[in-house]
Amino acid sequence: MTAQTLTEKLLRRNVAAPIVPGSEFYRIPVDLVLGHDATIALLIERFKRAGRRIWDPARCFFAADHFTPPSTPERADILNRYLAFMTQESVSQDLAFRGISHQLLVEDRRCQPGMVICGADSHTVMAGALGSFACGMGSTDILALLLTGEVLLAVPESIRIDFEGTLPDWLFGKDLALEIIRQLGEGGAVDRSLEYRDLTTTGLPMDSRLSVANMAVEAGATNGVFVPDDALRSYLAARDGSAGPLPGFEGAWLEPDPGAAYVQHIRIDLDKLRPLVALPGDLSRIVPAEDAEPRAVQQVFIGSCAGGRVEDLAAAARVLRGRRVAPGVRLVVTPASQAVYRACLRNGIFEVLHDAGAMITNSSCGACGGIDKGLIGAGEVCVSTSNRNFRGRMGSPDGLIYLASPATAAAAAVTGRICDPRTVLDDRCLTSFHQDPWPAVRMIGDAA
Amino acid sequence: MTTIGGKALIMGDNVNTDVLHPSRFFSLDDRTVRSGFLQAAAGYEQVGGSDLAGRVIVAGENFGCGSSRETGARVFLLAGVRAVVARSLARIFSRNVRNLGLPAVECPSLPALAPDVEVELDLVRGRLSVPSESLDLPLTPLDPFWAAVLHAGGLLPFLGLGESASAVTRGASLPMYQGMP
Repeated sequence: MTAQTLTEKLLRRNVAAPIVPGSEFYRIPVDLVLGHDATIALLIERFKRAGRRIWDPARCFFAADHFTPPSTPERADILNRYLAFMTQESVSQDLAFRGISHQLLVEDRRCQPGMVICGADSHTVMAGALGSFACGMGSTDILALLLTGEVLLAVPESIRIDFEGTLPDWLFGKDLALEIIRQLGEGGAVDRSLEYRDLTTTGLPMDSRLSVANMAVEAGATNGVFVPDDALRSYLAARDGSAGPLPGFEGAWLEPDPGAAYVQHIRIDLDKLRPLVALPGDLSRIVPAEDAEPRAVQQVFIGSCAGGRVEDLAAAARVLRGRRVAPGVRLVVTPASQAVYRACLRNGIFEVLHDAGAMITNSSCGACGGIDKGLIGAGEVCVSTSNRNFRGRMGSPDGLIYLASPATAAAAAVTGRICDPRTVLDDRCLTSFHQDPWPAVRMIGDAA
Repeated sequence: MTTIGGKALIMGDNVNTDVLHPSRFFSLDDRTVRSGFLQAAAGYEQVGGSDLAGRVIVAGENFGCGSSRETGARVFLLAGVRAVVARSLARIFSRNVRNLGLPAVECPSLPALAPDVEVELDLVRGRLSVPSESLDLPLTPLDPFWAAVLHAGGLLPFLGLGESASAVTRGASLPMYQGMP
């Protein structure tokens, strides 16, 4: 047996013959399928015509996060069709209205290292931060998966990405994710896996790892996976507590083989990285924040599955403590889940953000997908901690979206302009952003 | 049917699903979905709303990157587009389009072409020809799985789980296409 990458190991565990002779595509059994109100609604009618039941309702991880609460009568109808479908197919509704599906997944004991997870949303890739194969798909693929328990996939080649050096206080997972896309390009990882290793001296906080894995798809990757390590072990120990790993996954801590072949090897030295921004329109122009034109901004959005966790909101609070949002700027804060919401309530983050003038919304996909609660108009400039700055993504095609870390976004909220967050850090700020390597899981644990 | 001819609609590199089909047109109503085609693609808003029946989309690198929303692929069917050819295709989008029975193929040597030029796609020979430019370009061979999916008219009919949404390639002898240069 030749040496295998982590993704090869994750996918080849239960694989037999190709689907058709000569093909590189295999039927791959799936451990967990992620769904939400918008994309599952697209398959319900075709599902009913197939005249079969979901292969295993207990393996359906279905949230309601897009039209929650609905902003139009049609969206209320879509949401209700989805909920009725879940009832009919005996899928639990426990996750509905509790936050963004991707964040709920990594907070949940049902998501374990070693799994194959497929979801009806491109950002399903985020669960790869927990050492699983996680991949997004469209509704027809997910419909076939719900009926058969399998997906049809080719095993991708991998790009190895090593993080080295020391993480400074003002650098975040978003900066790392943008640096990867800057190097690979928007389509640089199509049909490939990104395999990340944390070789830093300080360790990357789990929330930052999630932001990195979340944006694997923005380089076109099939999946992105962190090689499991002690940091993941600590996260899972805090999350799962005495319940421990899920039965069947106790020993599923896979690692790539020494000598596994990679199509590319990228080393990212955190000591040399500066805070980055993605300029509006697409992800082809990523530059240091200090080199970007200091444009006036009308909205700052801190939220989404890419940038709405405790680490992100804490970073914003640390920049905004004792300050006010610049006149005329609207700061929209959307926690990624209700557990994040509650942790921020308990530890004072919301009080700081509220006093600074933030508008805090319920946990949902909201402004990131141009759905509701923070759309932008023609000519407006928004700095966002989300994952896509595409034309029209957050509202008007003539609005401009910059992507940045929570510190860079909060700095824009304070100054009213695009700027390097290091220029606003002073003794009013809590200086150590990363003093606790796993603030999220500990605070979520406290809040639960 | 294995030869698909039509007037090209030329698009650029890294065209994402948010500009191809903005999320505000997400709907279960086909008329609403159809009305959103190309509505955030700069300079394409008008053509997106026009009659596109029989057109072939000819695009650059990484076409269809971004969201998995299948409305962004379904709208190609609703608009009457007959095929998508790009220098390279984004993964989720290319799956979505083929799953619905619409050919999406790659032509890495595709040069810049004039707007509205007539193109012909031969899925058996694996060639894209542009008669007015005397071009005859190779397509990247489809994996036999995708050839079989297109032959069946989409993923659901291939798996025996439903009917085809498209008749563009149904019944085409596409497995022949494998191994063609």
